[in-house]
Amino acid sequence: MTAIITSLTSLYFRRRLFDGLVKIFAWSAVIFAAAVLLFVLGMLFVKGLEGISFQLFTHSTSPAGTKGGLANAMVGSLIITFGAVAIGAPAGILAGTYLAEYGRGKKLSGAIRFANDILLSSPSIIIGLFIYTIAVAPLKHFSAWSGSVALAIITLPVVLRTTEDMLLMVPNALREAAAALGATKWRVIILICYRSARQGIINGMLLAVARISGETAPLIFTSLGNQNWSLDIAAPMAALPIVIYNYARSPYEDQIQLAWSGALLITVAILLLNIVAKMLGGQNRR
Amino acid sequence: MKNQKTVSVKKTEVKTGTKNSVGALPSSAKFELQKVSFYYQGFQALKDVSLTLKDRQVTAFIGPSGCGKSTLLRMLNRIYELYPGQYATGKILFDGQNILGRTVDVNRLRKSVGMVFQKPSPFPMSIFDNVAFGIRLYHKYSASELEGRVETALRKTGLWEEVKDKLKQSGNSLSGGQQQRVCIARAIAIQPSVLLLDEPTSALDPISTQRIEELVAELKTDYCIAIVTHNMRQAARVSDYTAFLYQGELIEFDTNEKIFTQPRLKQTEDYITGRIG
Repeated sequence: MTAIITSLTSLYFRRRLFDGLVKIFAWSAVIFAAAVLLFVLGMLFVKGLEGISFQLFTHSTSPAGTKGGLANAMVGSLIITFGAVAIGAPAGILAGTYLAEYGRGKKLSGAIRFANDILLSSPSIIIGLFIYTIAVAPLKHFSAWSGSVALAIITLPVVLRTTEDMLLMVPNALREAAAALGATKWRVIILICYRSARQGIINGMLLAVARISGETAPLIFTSLGNQNWSLDIAAPMAALPIVIYNYARSPYEDQIQLAWSGALLITVAILLLNIVAKMLGGQNRR
Repeated sequence: MKNQKTVSVKKTEVKTGTKNSVGALPSSAKFELQKVSFYYQGFQALKDVSLTLKDRQVTAFIGPSGCGKSTLLRMLNRIYELYPGQYATGKILFDGQNILGRTVDVNRLRKSVGMVFQKPSPFPMSIFDNVAFGIRLYHKYSASELEGRVETALRKTGLWEEVKDKLKQSGNSLSGGQQQRVCIARAIAIQPSVLLLDEPTSALDPISTQRIEELVAELKTDYCIAIVTHNMRQAARVSDYTAFLYQGELIEFDTNEKIFTQPRLKQTEDYITGRIG
């Protein structure tokens, strides 16, 4: 009897000890991850905020030594990103709709889904190079629109995946109920399925925007960057990530400062997008 | 509108409320099933079923789970076609026309044959838009006409007084029983001639169930109603005819009095008295 109790207690203490150790490891991992994130964000805010001024928003980048801003890069980023979403999101939504509504259980769907997963994880520099080969090199000049196309290819798989997932969450009972009223399939999709999945699909688009707004590699091969103010989508255009990439390596203090400020702007924008997406997602669940 | 008029005439009949007036109506065949079989993924779910659903009568389908009663109902508006690998053979005459034919416009068929499902399924939109959904598919009404049609449908389901002040609220904000009645209102708003009810009360509490059963009794003055239920007492309460199915076969089909008081077959009696199933 006593023997059983002692062996039980020693087993009990070993389990408690192990449990405690795991807890400590888990906590230290969390603290490490949070510390890194806070350090990066803190550094960004300290260094970036120094350069935030009115001029940042009104002036374009200028030669070293003269005081410049980031207006051209901000507007450029907005235009290129908007173009990318305008091309990539509709394609992604329609393809996701095909997978969820028309292609269930078909072999073709499996192939599309597999290809999409590969695209989702393919390095962005390869996508940039690909667009460079087909849309920049043959025309012999860089252009903002080719940057949009490159980013659209990154947007597409993200939107496709979220659209399919959200549509699959729409209960079949709703599709049946709408079809039983004599609604044709496309009407069921537009009036019922999209409406049910709307928030999730928008969410996916916001996350895609957050993803592409920091992409640098594809833009280096396509929209190149531009020192001056330009709204011509057939010409090279400035963008924040490229400015950061170029100026962070600059020997001049004021250019390094612009890079910090640009980094802060992108980070805050992405942070806001994520918060908005989270809030919309939360509403959806309720 | 001609239809509107006939509806209002019948409503007064309901109000004077004698069940005899119903019996006095000519009850012609609405649906006629001739040797109908149903298959999905190689499995035969229904075997050579033949029966007639009479207009302005309630026909109940009873039987243990998996006997094919829901399957039978889902053939009548061809809703099974939403899923691949399912098909029916035989003939189903709807007002004399075979609806299993290839040239049949299923959307038009479904306009005439409304359906309400087991789980209340309000669309993710307001109560008003839910009821107006079907109407908007077929008509371009002015706002006031549309409101009138929605009100009529809601009044027929006895919901109007309960929801008239919150028509803009989401359909999901209602109780389960109210949601189910919104679904019935949504189905009858497009003026079908048949209502298919697939276990409409199995997800509802007893009081909502009673309300729906009363509604069925009121609605049968205007519609041919087919109801699937796993509740024999419900079948006995609401229907005029009852069909007992077992393992895909139609075992017995007769008037309620016959089925529930002196069934022809022992198998039927066993099921009704709770000995099988």
